[in-house]
Amino acid sequence: MKRVRFYDSPVLNTQMPMWRARLVVILLMLGFGTVLAKALYLQGMSKDFLQQQGERRYERTLVLPATRGKIFDRSGEVVLASSVPVRAIWAIPEDARAAGDEQLTQLSKLLDMPIADVRRRLATEDKNFVYIKRQVAVDIADQIRAMKIPGIHQQVEMRRFYPEGGMTAHVLGFTNIEDKGIEGVELTFDKELSGTPGSRRVIRDRLGRVVEDVQAVVPPVHGQDLRLSLDAGLQFDAYSALKKAMEEHNAQAGAGIVVDVKTGEVLALVNLPSYDPNRRDDRTGGALRNRVITDTFEPGSIMKPFTVALALDLDKVTTSTKFDTGNGRYRYQGSVISDVSRNGVLDVAGILRRSSNIGMTMISELLTSQEMWTKFTELGFGRAPHANFPGVASGKLRPWERWRPIERATMAYGYGLSASLLQIAHAYTVFARDGDMVSLTLLKREDKPTSVQVYKSEDAALVRSMLEAAAGPDGARLAQVQGYRVAGKSGTARKIVDGRYSTSKYRSSFVGFAPVSDPRIVVAVTLDEPQGGAYYGGRVAAPVFSNIVASSLRRMGVQPDAPFESLVAVGSAGEQE
Amino acid sequence: MGRFSILFAVLLMLFAISLVTARYQSRQLFVASERLSAQARELDTDWRRLQLERAELARNARIDEIARQDLKMMPASPDRTLYLKGDFAAVPPVNVPDGVRP
Repeated sequence: MKRVRFYDSPVLNTQMPMWRARLVVILLMLGFGTVLAKALYLQGMSKDFLQQQGERRYERTLVLPATRGKIFDRSGEVVLASSVPVRAIWAIPEDARAAGDEQLTQLSKLLDMPIADVRRRLATEDKNFVYIKRQVAVDIADQIRAMKIPGIHQQVEMRRFYPEGGMTAHVLGFTNIEDKGIEGVELTFDKELSGTPGSRRVIRDRLGRVVEDVQAVVPPVHGQDLRLSLDAGLQFDAYSALKKAMEEHNAQAGAGIVVDVKTGEVLALVNLPSYDPNRRDDRTGGALRNRVITDTFEPGSIMKPFTVALALDLDKVTTSTKFDTGNGRYRYQGSVISDVSRNGVLDVAGILRRSSNIGMTMISELLTSQEMWTKFTELGFGRAPHANFPGVASGKLRPWERWRPIERATMAYGYGLSASLLQIAHAYTVFARDGDMVSLTLLKREDKPTSVQVYKSEDAALVRSMLEAAAGPDGARLAQVQGYRVAGKSGTARKIVDGRYSTSKYRSSFVGFAPVSDPRIVVAVTLDEPQGGAYYGGRVAAPVFSNIVASSLRRMGVQPDAPFESLVAVGSAGEQE
Repeated sequence: MGRFSILFAVLLMLFAISLVTARYQSRQLFVASERLSAQARELDTDWRRLQLERAELARNARIDEIARQDLKMMPASPDRTLYLKGDFAAVPPVNVPDGVRP
């Protein structure tokens, strides 16, 4: 074959038309231009979108959950409520179809729910997210995770625990499944208790580990811890005393409150029947009611001391003023007012001690409706107390202009108006203090409480001694406490059934304070519809009062102020020789 | 001139490498700090759980029942209590000789 050298190639010798070269240049330029245009488009116009897409592949925003604050009692050592993480077990039904029968059986066993229930939940085809069970304890959730069932996933959530259970249930209230407060303290202080969740934006590596923070971390603000004014010990004592009495007298319901006279702190607040806030299905019906705060009733005789103090305050009566209550029946304004027994001639202290309605009617004749209304309003009746609690009842006290003449008399002995036990205990602080009423709180008080002067201090002292006599040997004897001087007033109010005063349904109450020489606590107790014989406040409620006072003062370490016979001998050093 | 160029080139290399190692180290430390804060969270959770458990065990109702039923105790009423009078803050601490147990 003849070799032809490159330059001699005949192909090169043929002259090409010029347009072909031009075409190539133009095509190249076009190609270049397209690349440039695409680059401009990507870099310039859709930059944000592309950057976002890129970041989404390696950046993650993590939510940093805030933990709900704990609730403590006044000592700060007893936890009354606290949240711990638990897991929610959820499933993608479509994926879960691959799960074997055996696995599902085991799952239902671990979750303690019937297998049919699990299957029914997984049968929902149209959803791709179903909760199987929420609030599952972490150790059980870990066992489920170890089983590696397809389509079953877990999610962290919080669960609130109340170690004291039913004892503090009404004060604390409870939270819903999202850890938001819906009753009691949990609701009132929901803002303080629940924090704000934080967030952080991070880069993850291929193993899913967080490698870097992209932006500054927004730390979660955890909920504040609350310190209540309640004393867990006193609360327990009050609860068990009330519970015992409820069972003994077969009462419908009961309520009790212990207030610190010096600081206005609520030391114990008990309601019965109660419920277990740890069990969701237990939270229904009347057991949820915080009777101390939300239920109002006609106080009956426990109102009498306020009227007496008013009469003393206005100098309408003195301790030596005598009233003839006759034979126990008294015609007044077309009605008959009757006493339990015939009392004859009584002084003011005697009227309180014998709880004479006729005597009270005679005292009320010396007063005007306006004077009584003003004083009762000052004492907090008819308006909601400034207690940090949801659903605080204000009770009913009609304006004095609309009182009928007979009502001035009935108001004087506690009928025709209504109040909650909280209001009554609050008002009684005037006698336990020097005629001033201290403001109440459910939180531990760090600063000095405010108080309003209602009666003159000497009048409060006079009524205090009358109340001591009313709880003495001639009055509600069962209220007495060994070693301590107590003062108080029993009340037995008939309940209104179908708009009329019932003759068989009563509410027995007792309100008082101790020790009289330097009062420390006000205790108010009420029992609703006690059955089986006794229904008088002095019979039913006074022993509960006595129990609560005895154990509370012992726990508080208050020195006895009444003489008592000691069973233990004080060994002095001199005798040992 | 050439010598300086070589010197700077070497320096530049060194700095580049140190930057890479510093980046690497910072990531390592970050991961470690993450692990520790996760541990702190876990410990806090454990503390909450234990605190609840303690509250459950120290419940007044439980203590009361054990004291009354198992230990046969009864509440101290005033007549069984010795009340001591005096200013206790001023009392000097009792001197216990060595080796003598009160």
